[in-house]
Amino acid sequence: MFTTQRTLRILSLTAAAALATTLAACSSDDDATPSSSDGASAGGKTLTTLNIWDPYPQYDDSSDWATYVQSCAPSGVTVKRTSAATADLLNNLTTAVKAGNAPDVILLDNPAVPDAASAGLLAPADEVGIDTSGFDANLAGPGTVDGTTYGVPIGANTLGLYYNEDILKDAGVDPASITSWDTLNAALEKVTKAGHKGITFSGIAGEEGVFQFQPWFWGAGADLKDIGSDQAVAAGQLVSDWIGKGYAPKSAATDNQSASWDLFLTGDYAFAENGSWFAQAAAKLTDFKAVAMALPGKDGGAAPVPTGGEFVLAPLQKDDADAHYANAKKVIDCLVGAENQVKTAGMLGYFAANKDERAKQIAADPVWAPWASAIEAAQGRTSELGADYTAASAQLSTALQGALNAAGDSAKVKDAFTQAAQS
Amino acid sequence: MTLVGIQTPAPVPTADAAVAAAAGRPEPQRRRRRVQPTTWAGLAFAAPLLVYLVVFYAYPLYENVSMSLHRYTRATYVTGEAPFVGLDIYREVIGSSQFWTIVWQTTVFVVASLLFQYSFGLGLAVFFRRAFPLSAVLRGLFLVPWLLPIIVSATTWQWMMDADSGIINRFLGVFGIDPVWWLSADHSLTAVIIANIWLGIPFNLVILYSGLQNIPTEMYEAASLDGAGAWRQFWSITFPLLKPVSAITLLLGFVYTLKVVDIIWIMTQGTGKSQTLATWAYAMAFGKGTSATIKYSEASAVGSILLLVALVMGIVYLVVQRRQED
Repeated sequence: MFTTQRTLRILSLTAAAALATTLAACSSDDDATPSSSDGASAGGKTLTTLNIWDPYPQYDDSSDWATYVQSCAPSGVTVKRTSAATADLLNNLTTAVKAGNAPDVILLDNPAVPDAASAGLLAPADEVGIDTSGFDANLAGPGTVDGTTYGVPIGANTLGLYYNEDILKDAGVDPASITSWDTLNAALEKVTKAGHKGITFSGIAGEEGVFQFQPWFWGAGADLKDIGSDQAVAAGQLVSDWIGKGYAPKSAATDNQSASWDLFLTGDYAFAENGSWFAQAAAKLTDFKAVAMALPGKDGGAAPVPTGGEFVLAPLQKDDADAHYANAKKVIDCLVGAENQVKTAGMLGYFAANKDERAKQIAADPVWAPWASAIEAAQGRTSELGADYTAASAQLSTALQGALNAAGDSAKVKDAFTQAAQS
Repeated sequence: MTLVGIQTPAPVPTADAAVAAAAGRPEPQRRRRRVQPTTWAGLAFAAPLLVYLVVFYAYPLYENVSMSLHRYTRATYVTGEAPFVGLDIYREVIGSSQFWTIVWQTTVFVVASLLFQYSFGLGLAVFFRRAFPLSAVLRGLFLVPWLLPIIVSATTWQWMMDADSGIINRFLGVFGIDPVWWLSADHSLTAVIIANIWLGIPFNLVILYSGLQNIPTEMYEAASLDGAGAWRQFWSITFPLLKPVSAITLLLGFVYTLKVVDIIWIMTQGTGKSQTLATWAYAMAFGKGTSATIKYSEASAVGSILLLVALVMGIVYLVVQRRQED
């Protein structure tokens, strides 16, 4: 009895049903948006799903970090974690806030906070109820924009100078002698003459390269407000000479921090400028002994380093804001509350952003000891310029690219900085 | 018996037939032909395509142009405030110091890529026209660049072109040539062109090779009887008869090359001379590379300019094609 006609009829019915469902799905889109979470109760007062975004795609759902974030879920709430690359997260947030489906909590790279705040993507901390007290002023700085505080650091990191102890011994360089640019250059000359390679760093176009350049930029006494200054040019000349003299690989102009770290791991390079987030990995190296020290300023002493790391924030909610903020507050309290700060920071390879908590962290793990003073002296990248930082960073990135490509040519380095300052 | 079953999905005919019956005259029925059941059915079948075209082509295109006429900032997404500024953004973009430099770089990138891709592709296609042992395998190998994900091939090119330890410089060193800093500001355009040529050869090879299959072998036989050598055969038979295929290959290649972002971005982030209109638009649209500040409107203005150029090339192609048909 199963005739062709019958089959055809069933098929056409199925097709019609499928089409109808698709169309219904399209048309109901608009109605669905306002009452965003389906799990919300009719009154819209309690939400059963909490979305959290972070820039750590390297941690998958089975990672310690993911499990840890889950453990911070308020009772009766399911936490849904989504990761995206650092460079994409702010753009993703922008469109999400527009669509009315922003996450409840976001971990945003600190230089992106003023941009996000001035675009109105973030809810002020006091509205959400985030406890902003107890964080070190230099580390919490980027969270305050035009007098309003939006969030707190999840932890902090900074840059230092790693060296390969085996190479330094072989070349007869005493690491304690490296206290200024001149002594660093002398050490680089010695190690390269001994047949080793000099230093790896990341000069990639964009914020990442600028971050790595700032210790030299600030260490020369330059100011982000004046990128064409003599001090700025001097810093550009320093890194340009490294390329020109062959101390640093030419790929520094396109290497990101992971790539430049990989070069250091080959064991060929004597020095590496890189982040404190590699400190634990460096301590476990077996091929050679890697030690961390402070980056030197131009005329001696430690260079002012930029603070790195994410801020934990609550994005602006259009609907059921109070319920979203209430959930966000609970998760944020859990992640950065005094009792958990060291644990959270440890998960990410960061420092706790509260001085007392950090003291405990450093006491517990000697790996952190060389970084203690650097993190205290570190400056927020956006603290001075706020939302204008992004434009300054773009100029500095252009200048840095020009300087690295000049490979030591001082006229070209100067041009790169003066031209970038005018753009 | 159940023929009706197939016709049920179109309920319109009954209503339509009723109206026609009520009218009672044959003439209006003829005028009504436009809304005959078959027309409705035809429309229903075309509807998914039309909806698809509007939703995924017309609307984004409209949004893109609209964005380039309004001043968008990040805050626009929240406040919805985007003042209409007419052609101001186009004026700013075209008047900016980098615009013409980037246009020139884009031209060099597109023209050099097309020229080499096409000539290598054509050369290989002619080479593979004569079947020889392993020719199929070799032809398959030439498709590898096409099959590899761009992230893999671009990263590999980046490694090979490394100034200090790249294999290309190592190879040049064998001949006593000084190492080249491929990815530096000055050489980056050459570097990305080389990688892009390598990437585009398979596409040209495949299309031109299939075009060659349509040229009757008798022509070549007749030509060789008349004493035409390989060179003469190529210029008098292969090249002229391949013209229509060449035209479409070059047009498609032009559009593909004009919009290339991935390979350039992965290799150089559009630094130095490797910045093209496409990478510039990408950098501004997402606040990446050296242009950390997001510039939505400027990016869509550049995007619209690119579309316009592609459109002009499309029209040129149509005109050429029509002339060939006449």
